Amino acid sequence: MTYCLHICICLCLVVLQTTVMPYIPLFDRFYDLLSPFVIYLSIFRPVREGIVIILIFGFLMDNISGGPFGLYLTAYVWLFIGVRWAITFLHVGDSLLIPFVVAAGVLMENIIFIGTSAMFESGSRISEGVVNTVFIQVLWALFTGPFFLMFFNHSHRRWDHWFKERFVKNN
Amino acid sequence: MFSKKMVMVIGVIVLIAVNIILLSIFNRRYISYYNPGRIAISLIAPFQKASSSSIRFLRDIWQHYFFLVHAAKENEYLEKELGKAFERNIQLKELKLSNSRLRSLLNFQEKITDRVLSAEVIGKDPSPYFKTILVDKGKNDGVEKGMAVVIPKGIAGQITDVSSHYSKVLLIIDHNSAVDALVQSDRARGIIQGGAAGQCFLKYVLRKHDIAIGDTVVSSGMDGIFPKGLGVGVVSSVIKPKSGIFQEVTVTPYVDFEKLEEVLIVLNPKQKEFESKQ
Repeated sequence: MTYCLHICICLCLVVLQTTVMPYIPLFDRFYDLLSPFVIYLSIFRPVREGIVIILIFGFLMDNISGGPFGLYLTAYVWLFIGVRWAITFLHVGDSLLIPFVVAAGVLMENIIFIGTSAMFESGSRISEGVVNTVFIQVLWALFTGPFFLMFFNHSHRRWDHWFKERFVKNN
Repeated sequence: MFSKKMVMVIGVIVLIAVNIILLSIFNRRYISYYNPGRIAISLIAPFQKASSSSIRFLRDIWQHYFFLVHAAKENEYLEKELGKAFERNIQLKELKLSNSRLRSLLNFQEKITDRVLSAEVIGKDPSPYFKTILVDKGKNDGVEKGMAVVIPKGIAGQITDVSSHYSKVLLIIDHNSAVDALVQSDRARGIIQGGAAGQCFLKYVLRKHDIAIGDTVVSSGMDGIFPKGLGVGVVSSVIKPKSGIFQEVTVTPYVDFEKLEEVLIVLNPKQKEFESKQ
């Protein structure tokens, strides 16, 4: 059932990101909404749970995006590995660090995207527009990322609570 | 023999190498021709369509009923008329130039076939670095990979992936897109490729051509995808480097990709009928 919740949240995020946000002027250069979710999975959820969701939605994003196949999978897997590694020596549960972790995650995802484009396209160069996009996305992540993580955590707790009340007690 | 740390570092390096190799393979060979890719699009597209329709519905209510009913309708009508006039103007210019080069001996064919299919945009690319859209028409509607996607103002892109009810369109502003085009006044040929910030580059234009800012760029029809004479954009900057054989031409597309809602898919070019006139 937890997987269902994760899938529902991810679906909502993908739909929001591809249909609603591009039409809102302030949010047209917002960061990938699945990256805070990947960070949430790597900090607060077990590895097997996170990996399954990352593989499903990395594959899905690769198919609806125009980038080379595997780019989103790569970004999410490395983001997951990176955050899992970071929490071995950082107290990420500390709310002061969370904005920086999300911002670093978004920066890492952008670096993977830009790096891949630069690697496979001859004559590609990093334009001013790309730098602006990355800067805006990191700023957005710094200020809004923790709210997303709080929301994911809160919805998961509520779900667990509701699920236990509804089904575990009945049994 | 090796410490645990060393093994981990080697493991990470091997993982990165494998990752780069796999990305390189998939970058050369587009994988989503296979069924799983289509399933993924089919899975997400209905949600996107429902969301887009709801947003459009709410926005239409706002625009048509609460916010200057008459002005909104008149504006829509005028925009459509302007689009039609714009297309007619480009076609007429093309016709005039063709006539001046004594090509009127040939039967002039319609620039765009009668068989077009209208489709609604239901989703945009999740990444700001790639420019694709999803539309609500697919294989069951007769759409095939490689078909041209246009709007009355000009070329929008081409179909790159098709599922049964939905298709993915690679827009001309994506850096992977290429359209054979020519400058209308000078007949200089080049390849339109996506650039930064919604602009396109007209690449491989020889230095000998005199191209001015404001010149119209149209499709040449030589790529076998886009019909000839469709508007692509207007030249916004020209740089002639001191060395090299090509000049750098930037083109601003006619299509406003931020506001793209409906598109036309050119189903198949009208077949030429070679009839012997006796």
